[in-house]
Amino acid sequence: MKYDILIVGGGAAGMAAAIKSSERGASVLLAERDLELGGVLKQCIHNGFGLTYFHEDISGTEYADRFRRAIADKSIEIMTEANVVSICENRTAVIATKSGIFEVSFDFCIMATGCREKSIGSELIGGTRPAGVYTAGEAQKMINLNHYDLGDNFVILGSGNVGQVMARRLKILGKNVAAMIEQNNSLGGMTKNRQDCIEAYNIPVRLNSTVDMIYGEGHVTAVRVKHLDSGDTEIIKCDALITALGLIPDRVLAEELEINGNYLDWLYFCGNCESVHDIVDAVTIQAERLASEICDLTEDKLNA
Amino acid sequence: MHTSEKCDITVIGAGLLGCFVARSLREYNLSVRVLEAREDVCTGISKANTAIVYTGIDNKPGSLKSELCVRANEGFDSLCTDLGVPFSRCGSLMAVFGPKGEKALIKKYNQGVENGVRGIKLLSAEETHSMEPGLSSEVTASLFVPGTGTVNPWLLCIAAYENASDNGAEFLFNNRVIQMERVNGGFRLVTEDNEFFSRAVVNCAGLFADTVRELTEKPLVRIFRTGADYFVLDKKAEGGVSHIIFHEPEIGKKGLTLVPTTEGNILVGPSDRAASEYPDEADVNGLVQLEKQCKEVVPKLEINKKIRCFAGSRPNTVLVKPEGRRYIKTDNKIPDFSIFEEAGLFSLIGIKTPGLTCAHELSRYLSAHIADYLCCSEINPEFNPVRKPIIKTSELTLEEWKKLVQCNKAYGQIICTCGKITEGEIVGAIRRGAATVNGVKRRVGSGMGCCQGSRCTQRIAEIIARELSIEVNEVTMDGRNSYIMRGGVSCEV
Repeated sequence: MKYDILIVGGGAAGMAAAIKSSERGASVLLAERDLELGGVLKQCIHNGFGLTYFHEDISGTEYADRFRRAIADKSIEIMTEANVVSICENRTAVIATKSGIFEVSFDFCIMATGCREKSIGSELIGGTRPAGVYTAGEAQKMINLNHYDLGDNFVILGSGNVGQVMARRLKILGKNVAAMIEQNNSLGGMTKNRQDCIEAYNIPVRLNSTVDMIYGEGHVTAVRVKHLDSGDTEIIKCDALITALGLIPDRVLAEELEINGNYLDWLYFCGNCESVHDIVDAVTIQAERLASEICDLTEDKLNA
Repeated sequence: MHTSEKCDITVIGAGLLGCFVARSLREYNLSVRVLEAREDVCTGISKANTAIVYTGIDNKPGSLKSELCVRANEGFDSLCTDLGVPFSRCGSLMAVFGPKGEKALIKKYNQGVENGVRGIKLLSAEETHSMEPGLSSEVTASLFVPGTGTVNPWLLCIAAYENASDNGAEFLFNNRVIQMERVNGGFRLVTEDNEFFSRAVVNCAGLFADTVRELTEKPLVRIFRTGADYFVLDKKAEGGVSHIIFHEPEIGKKGLTLVPTTEGNILVGPSDRAASEYPDEADVNGLVQLEKQCKEVVPKLEINKKIRCFAGSRPNTVLVKPEGRRYIKTDNKIPDFSIFEEAGLFSLIGIKTPGLTCAHELSRYLSAHIADYLCCSEINPEFNPVRKPIIKTSELTLEEWKKLVQCNKAYGQIICTCGKITEGEIVGAIRRGAATVNGVKRRVGSGMGCCQGSRCTQRIAEIIARELSIEVNEVTMDGRNSYIMRGGVSCEV
């Protein structure tokens, strides 16, 4: 199969790029590894999305739904539960699905693979490696999408946006958030989240601090919080530890195609795998702009 | 209480040694039953070590260790071929920083020659740097040992278990031996719900081997563990090494070891420190020490690309003697492999480095002895040493993969995106005995990439629940109470 544009990832960026490309007449294949389009928006059941793009305050779920509905009207080929496993220099890709392993070719490829979360393994932390340690996005998915119960008493390490939103979510669910621990001398994330999630819910915050020990044989039972200036330590009991240590653009698929920091001229990045955006509206706008630019190139080619 | 049919030999513990002993015993016409306290193999001391296959240059000439290690190393390719386990004979460099180290190098070299280790060579600083450009410019000399290699200890243990089981050894999990007594013609062993009888017992209980021995014997030897911390770097980390590096420091005793693993990561460790409360409990100071040593030995190594820190234990054995009503340590440590044999009870206590290398040869050595003891040296003609590994879709050609998905669509569904591991492989691991998320990880390598399972743990737990017909809240990360999610829903839907 041959497409003008292959888009890898069907989150906010991938959906926006697909719609824009299709509107401009390009043939598009959109490959999404999850069951449904929407990416991380699906698990963002809180409001605060769409203020720029739709001039409305809507939830992440609703934001994704609007794009899903728009996509349904277009002649875009969509593959779900489809993992792009490799992209080759000859402009082909291998896509793995339950119904088969497919090779497709394309003129342009847009990576819209979003971010991954930094894991606890990147930190120098002592202790056994008990269960009950989740990244913020992982916990958000498990709780909001699958309604799993992860514990009663949480500690959050790191203070990025997802961590802050999760702190509020846990409080709304009636859970205790024993502490949010941040290495720097101020909380990360956006001011709005800090006010709405942390201050409004009186989440105890430890600044200039980190976790240097996780206790528990089997399941986590407590963490040791170390103050980075004084070296003082404090043991905080918990039955779940959530890490919000930061987001890293997920470019693993494209790394094999990187030569001295440059990529081939048919490969583009959009959304959070291009750079981490604070708000999804910015992702959408950037993805649309990129898709337009690529379509300009395609048209130039056709006219040439 | 349920009583099982009497067998020839009970093996206590399904770690690396227990699994290999069971396998070797089945080379004879002996019936073998393995009792394991936990839910799977390889959950104790076997699971965390430096993953090195040694050549025998480190062992005292004439010792059992040196004899077995040299033999084991030479046969390691064929063992791994039989068992379907990847083995990388990457070679090692023992790198030194001055006169003290150089002296140690010569000693090692001579010892290696005396032990019959082939191909070892003393290298100048220049030769060393041309082989490993990432090593510190302060390195003054090195010893190149081409035979050193690395193997994934989990896979080796699991392969030995599967092959032992295929050859008729019976493995019973969740059976912790709590009582053992001598009865007419052998032993009676009691676990929580069952009792077992056998003519002989092999005690491979790892860190608990001393306690198990004392179920029937007077205290003689005890394990005093020390701790060892490690960290693993992302495959993308630059500044790594292609050989195993043993660093011999000028100051202090314990140098750094770097291992380019069969999976393509760099494993850094072990530190050497006092024991933590739990055997697998990492010590942050030990980890900090490792980082510091990395900066000295491999200054350009990207240690900020850590993906996992963990710890293991060294089971040091010391002879003890009675004093009043207690037993106290003597000054006698046990440097060599030693098998404590007491009228049908064979205890492997404190088998440490090179235990991974020698697991197979030590088991063969012991099994021959036990066969003799039981007057049954008859060879089992049906013994088949070959084990088929789990299919790895990432190693297939595109055509092979396409065909496989046509037969079983689960091989088209990627679950662990970092490792490109499919549902088919995960189901394969569960059918072969994985009962936990880490059990799956040890078999197929899921959750070992840069996201460390944050994107696949939930799905793997759900697949385990489906395959084993249990609730997802009954699935654990690593046995005991390491549940991943609790029952019910999180309050509101």
